[in-house]
Amino acid sequence: MVAGAQTHRLANGGVIDRSTSLSFRFDGKTLLGFQGDTLASALVANGVKLVGRSFKYHRPRGVLTAGSEEPNALVELRSGARREPNTKATTAELYEGLEAASQNRWPSLNFDVMSVNQLFAPIFVAGFYYKTFMWPAKFWEAIYEPAIRRAAGLGRAAGVSDPDHYDKAWAHCDVVIAGSGPAGLAAALAAGRSGARVILCEEDFVLGGRLLADGGAIDGLPAAEWVARAVAELTALPDVRIMTRTTLFGVYDGGTYGAIERVNDHVPVPPEHQVRQRLWRIVAKRCVVAAGAIERPIVFAGNDTPGVMMASAMRCYINRYAAAPARRIALFTNNEDGWRTAETAIAAGLQVAAVIDARPDVSPAHRSLASKGGFPVLHGSVSAVDGGKTGVRKISVALTGGARAEVEADGLAVSGGWNPAVGLTSYHRGRPKWRDDIAAFVPDGAPPGMVAAGAANGAFGLGACLREGFEAGAAAARDAGRGGNIGSMPVADDEAFSLTPLWHVAGKGKAFVDQQHDVTASDVELAQREGFQSVEHLKRYTTLGMATDQGKTSNVAGLAIMAAVSGKSIPETGTTIYRPPYVPVAIGAFAGHHRDENFHATRLTPSHHWAAEQGAVFVDTGLWKRAQWYPHAGEKDWLESVTREVKAVRSGVGFCDVSTLGKIDVHGPDAGAFLDRVYINAFSSLAVGKARYGLMLREDGIVYDDGTTSRLAEDHYFLTTTTAKAGLVMQHLEFCRQVLFPELDVQLTSVSDQWAQFSIAGPSARKLLQQIVDESEDLSNEGFPFMGAREVKLRGGLKARLFRISFSGEMAFEISVPARYGEAMARNLMIAGKPFGVTPYGTEALGVMRIEKGHVAGPELNGTTTAGDLGLGKMMSTKKHFIGRVMAGREALTAPNRQVVVGIKPTDKARRLRSGAHIIPKGETPGPDNDQGYVTSVCFSPVLDQWIGLGLVERGRERIGEIVRAHDPLRSEDYDVELCNSVFYDPDGGRQRG
Amino acid sequence: MADFSWDVRSPLDRALVAGPYGVQGDAGVALTEIRNFDLIQVMARRGKAGETAKAAQARFGAAAPETPKTVATADATLIWSGPDQFLVLSKGGKHTMAALAPVFAGSASLSDQSHARALISISGDKARAMLAKLSSVDLHPDVFGVGAAAATSMDHTSVTLWRGDDRNGQAVFNLLVFATFAESLWHTILDSAAEYGATIGHSEDL
Repeated sequence: MVAGAQTHRLANGGVIDRSTSLSFRFDGKTLLGFQGDTLASALVANGVKLVGRSFKYHRPRGVLTAGSEEPNALVELRSGARREPNTKATTAELYEGLEAASQNRWPSLNFDVMSVNQLFAPIFVAGFYYKTFMWPAKFWEAIYEPAIRRAAGLGRAAGVSDPDHYDKAWAHCDVVIAGSGPAGLAAALAAGRSGARVILCEEDFVLGGRLLADGGAIDGLPAAEWVARAVAELTALPDVRIMTRTTLFGVYDGGTYGAIERVNDHVPVPPEHQVRQRLWRIVAKRCVVAAGAIERPIVFAGNDTPGVMMASAMRCYINRYAAAPARRIALFTNNEDGWRTAETAIAAGLQVAAVIDARPDVSPAHRSLASKGGFPVLHGSVSAVDGGKTGVRKISVALTGGARAEVEADGLAVSGGWNPAVGLTSYHRGRPKWRDDIAAFVPDGAPPGMVAAGAANGAFGLGACLREGFEAGAAAARDAGRGGNIGSMPVADDEAFSLTPLWHVAGKGKAFVDQQHDVTASDVELAQREGFQSVEHLKRYTTLGMATDQGKTSNVAGLAIMAAVSGKSIPETGTTIYRPPYVPVAIGAFAGHHRDENFHATRLTPSHHWAAEQGAVFVDTGLWKRAQWYPHAGEKDWLESVTREVKAVRSGVGFCDVSTLGKIDVHGPDAGAFLDRVYINAFSSLAVGKARYGLMLREDGIVYDDGTTSRLAEDHYFLTTTTAKAGLVMQHLEFCRQVLFPELDVQLTSVSDQWAQFSIAGPSARKLLQQIVDESEDLSNEGFPFMGAREVKLRGGLKARLFRISFSGEMAFEISVPARYGEAMARNLMIAGKPFGVTPYGTEALGVMRIEKGHVAGPELNGTTTAGDLGLGKMMSTKKHFIGRVMAGREALTAPNRQVVVGIKPTDKARRLRSGAHIIPKGETPGPDNDQGYVTSVCFSPVLDQWIGLGLVERGRERIGEIVRAHDPLRSEDYDVELCNSVFYDPDGGRQRG
Repeated sequence: MADFSWDVRSPLDRALVAGPYGVQGDAGVALTEIRNFDLIQVMARRGKAGETAKAAQARFGAAAPETPKTVATADATLIWSGPDQFLVLSKGGKHTMAALAPVFAGSASLSDQSHARALISISGDKARAMLAKLSSVDLHPDVFGVGAAAATSMDHTSVTLWRGDDRNGQAVFNLLVFATFAESLWHTILDSAAEYGATIGHSEDL
């Protein structure tokens, strides 16, 4: 396809690089623009007026603004996985090969079937969905909502994973400045010269703000030259950082600001190793908001016709981009500033059709401009626009005094005055205050450390912007403790600003307040009539100001219309609450690096890579990757592998990496006394060289955690926790040490990562170990009995810690070596165990063996059970105080009908038992009244050759032998089970002692 | 009798691939893992902070840090790790548990952390820019000078970060991370460094 000519590009001027031509595609059509264009300015230069269809009525829409406040010109940018919906053409930087598509039209922008909605417009009023689709209720999700979503809405998400990378970073400074217009640059100069660390954030890709569009003279220099000098001076300062393409979007506690940097949105694909966007958290002592002001529309019939554009945007396209939005321009203004568009149009050689001024009078200078330019000045208001998807054709004017006039033009510039950008200053619930002289809200109640300056503060003249910015920058730096010489303040003249407020012109046809959400003036009136009189209700009922532009152009006009119909003033009507982000921020930027395998940090055991070599299947347990089982070739499923591992351990020997258990060094003369207080059983009486199982309660008497703790020296215990609670127990113990028992001389250190710990279990465990430990070590039952704990020497001289503890019920040891030896230990266990058929086993086999032994674990230590419930009530010492003792004695926690741990097995040996099944007495109807507990843990027991489990069952231990129902409504199962002793295997414990 | 070898493996043994990483050309970041060090946690016993300090002074010829700082001595680095506690980082077996136990007997509890951490040294033109993605600590030279230390977190992982002596006129940041988290954080570090280009290596020297 041949590239279209840039029919509306002006011959001269603009901050564009005419030597770099860029080709791009819009709705499949290839067009040309220049380096320095936005997508919107390139479309304007190509004479494209129609850029999208509206949200609800599918009305044709054109470009309204030249900034991030744009409600209409939203496109799907890029394609495939990078397709990004609702991108503002007004901020999308043009690049070679850019692809964009208009939204919310089918089959094409020019011929949109859904524009039939316009015919039904009278029924699509505010609250239409609520009123129309109320019944039948079940139709909402199935029929109404999907249909409405197809008809209404904005762009389409890519639907596949984002191929680009995002990251997050911190920055620190004395003064952060939002905006690089005259106020922002002046603030940066003052703060930077004083020696402050400054960050200047500019949303645009070029610095200068409104100076780029409106020019002017500063310090006797043309604005562009002054900007270049200011930027050069700032760049030379070592502690000033200028961040373009960066929007300061939020204010958080303690002087933390959120900013989004579009690092590579201006190229087709980010260069290799680079991110697309970066989310900044900026910590600043002070903040100067120099974010400028947003020109506001006047609401009149047909104000959404393509070709109707904000007056300031029109100047921006002409002056900054050398692109003419129209050839014959009409201007509708209620203020002095709007006239600058007429001046700009004439200077650019464009025709001015007429100026429609709502004020009673215009200045002599403008009168003479009109006579020189040969265009009429009409006193009155625009009452209708004749045009369509090809743009504005004719404008109807209601003249002051009642007469009517018509103006032929292909573009209409509108200026209703300016609204300071009060977002950032209002994010801590500050309510902006109304100023009658400019008929606008200005910041009030800004977060601590933040001030607004320049147009953002309601100072619209260039001289005032420079003055306010410079003073704010100097004050911010001073407050941050910087006192260098700030030099002289840049000066410029102030333009006159006179305005007669005008919000809404009555007339026939739809007059849009919020163009992005298709909210009309009559919707606002209707909401008021129907009782939605608070601005917050108005917002929700009409959706005014709720779209991706957050009502930047529409909110104040909506409030003004609301105020007029309710007979209140605008300040009485008030504003809705402002919330960040100021511009849409991609979720990807908030996620940053934390996606896919980096979703959270992972922890690897010391033998991880060895286990991976063995083909282990890993399971995520908390942050850990743990070997779950080690499949052998030919095994058909996990159960076969796990059963083999269990049998190998019970008949020979196996080992398992248990380094994930929390490990804590408890030191000090009072270590024993300390443990006596945190465990329910005694530890001060534990002999050096011995291990003991310990149970901790929460303060409320419920079980907190368990584990074995060994005494390695008079003043040194080695405490272990469950994997899940490792960090929490450390916190709990530190709290006990520092806050509850500061009188005890005890020191705690996490040594979880210091030790690689392996469980070695099975009848051949001792024989295996004897291969590895030095021959001088006596591992016999007498020399190292059950629950022994001591340091041993290994062959080769390395020292290890050995514990004779068992979770599996077999004769078992746990051996610890410093973690960097962990992988060598795994390899050596394989070598040493070869003659005994050693089998590495995973967490599944570990779980099977603990259930066979009736040991409680996470499913039973579930935050609702007492020591008594777990069958461990006798461990509770009556001779000492410990955390949880008093509260554990509460009536409800000692009630005889509590649900307690009991063994469960199906009466049909072939049946599979499932966790979560509820226990119901035989002959009773399943339901809450007859619910007596549930199955907590299950496994297939290779020893018993059937499924078994543990459960929490009312009076369970008194009911051994009783047949009850396992009722499982989730899986539609109901079967008989027998309550039995929870120790299924080797109940007298002979094997582990042997 | 079977022949056992007790090879040590650093937690980054598999993940670390020496050489260039990320953008080609002059590397903006140098990442060096320091392997096989001794790291002993020293915690003063109740009311024994003064004695511990004296013992440290006698042993190291320098006062142990009492604020978030490091103190470089002739053959060890003392790193603040909390009130009345510090870490002793050394190489060559000079300050092991066995060597320090008599020094602090009665005044402080010692815990061996030699295998509990991985140590990564970070330098280069872009070291600060890269670290800004990982750390909320202000690393501006006026704020985080040579010897400054922080017990902080990176990527939701507890770390000890300190600034060592400059090398070739460039700042050097040292990072101790828990061993089981090391590989995970390493990948995050590589992600952060890739756009600046990194040169990766490991060393036995502090």
